[in-house]
Amino acid sequence: MMRTAISILKKDLRMEFRSKESILAMWIFSLLIFVIFNFTFEVSRLVMLEIAPGLLWVAFVFSGMFGLNQSFALEKENGNLRAMALMPVDGGQIYVGKFFSVTIIMLMFEALIFPIFVIFYDLQLSLGMFRLIPVLLAGTIGFTSLGTILSAVAVHTRNQQILLSLLLWPLVSPIIIWSVTLTGMVLSGEVTEAFYPLLVRVGAFDVIFFTLSYMLFDFILED
Amino acid sequence: MRSKIDKILLITLLIAFSVSIYLIFLWVPQIKASNPAEQIAQRIFYFHVPSAWLGFLAFFVVFCGSVAYLATRNRKYELISVASAEIGVLFISLVLITGPIWAKPVWGIWWTWDVRLTSSLILWLIYVAFLMLRRYLPDGSKRANLSAVVGIIGFTDVPIVYYSIRWWETQHPKAVMASSEGSLAAPMFFAFMFSLATFTLLYVYLIRKRYQLLTLEDTLNKQFKEMEIL
Repeated sequence: MMRTAISILKKDLRMEFRSKESILAMWIFSLLIFVIFNFTFEVSRLVMLEIAPGLLWVAFVFSGMFGLNQSFALEKENGNLRAMALMPVDGGQIYVGKFFSVTIIMLMFEALIFPIFVIFYDLQLSLGMFRLIPVLLAGTIGFTSLGTILSAVAVHTRNQQILLSLLLWPLVSPIIIWSVTLTGMVLSGEVTEAFYPLLVRVGAFDVIFFTLSYMLFDFILED
Repeated sequence: MRSKIDKILLITLLIAFSVSIYLIFLWVPQIKASNPAEQIAQRIFYFHVPSAWLGFLAFFVVFCGSVAYLATRNRKYELISVASAEIGVLFISLVLITGPIWAKPVWGIWWTWDVRLTSSLILWLIYVAFLMLRRYLPDGSKRANLSAVVGIIGFTDVPIVYYSIRWWETQHPKAVMASSEGSLAAPMFFAFMFSLATFTLLYVYLIRKRYQLLTLEDTLNKQFKEMEIL
């Protein structure tokens, strides 16, 4: 049943592993954000620790746009988008395939940039840091679930890249706000009892966004 | 296109607006506040809150129109959503303008990153993006589909946005109707309800007009196309 989704996922991942285009661009871009940030806000180490979670998510969101933009722009190049629309399968399957490929690529990029982040901002590693994994997972899924469908919307316009940001950022702001809060709790080591309910809440909205996008995706493909 | 209903609506609106302005500026008693500027500024409330209500109503209509379009593929619903989104953006803009005008004398600042202010701004951004998306797409069923999808996702997001910022402490005055201690005095309540009704009527008039205009544009475009073929 999910064969189409799996083949799209495989194709996207194979393309990414061969060219490493998205991950490399995202990684370098995040590095640039850290560097520019350091020059524009010369703050003490204490303040830095306080704003670090925000900075991390700024880097994720800005760099994540590369992956999202790329995801459907590549399909458009050789008229593949039209071919996809003509496929006698449920549009939701295409969404699922694209969603997983974008999410996996983004999670890999996050795993690669996080060590750099730790070094740059001199974070103290501890076992509690493992709590960051569900936080990054939940936040990223929220970002990519909405991002994938809106990328498919924006790809039809002349100004794809700017429009995707305009559409996605306000809509995804709740997820980002919560993810920054959660990341802050983990990085500062002050995980309060509010942590898990908030994490569950992000997860719940991930499910809502994913389901809604899955149901609506058919309408985007048809002409 | 000038129907009788529009004429009646327009005349009613003119009368209703004159009455609300009289009620708001002359009839409603001055509030008791230590700061004299606050006494005057408070009257902006009768414009600010109805505008916000209109914005939400308009975006709800965008949502309904989008769902109805995807279900029926009737262009009528697409045009209704567009007309409503434009009016919604206009009135949320008014909210974002009247709010700071009130806040400056009362809070001493134009803007603060408070729940309602931030969520109104995000709401405004969502629907500006919706209108921009339409700008960037050529007319046709593709545009209708895409904007309907964004119209649905956008409205679903509205409560989530509000919810996500709620844990910040709010400075914004509470919903005065709901709380027991800060309830409105009878004349204020009457003036407020009158203003609310007037604004709602204005919405009905505006959406009718905008919808008629959009249909006219449609007909005109069709005729141009036919002429080109000939």
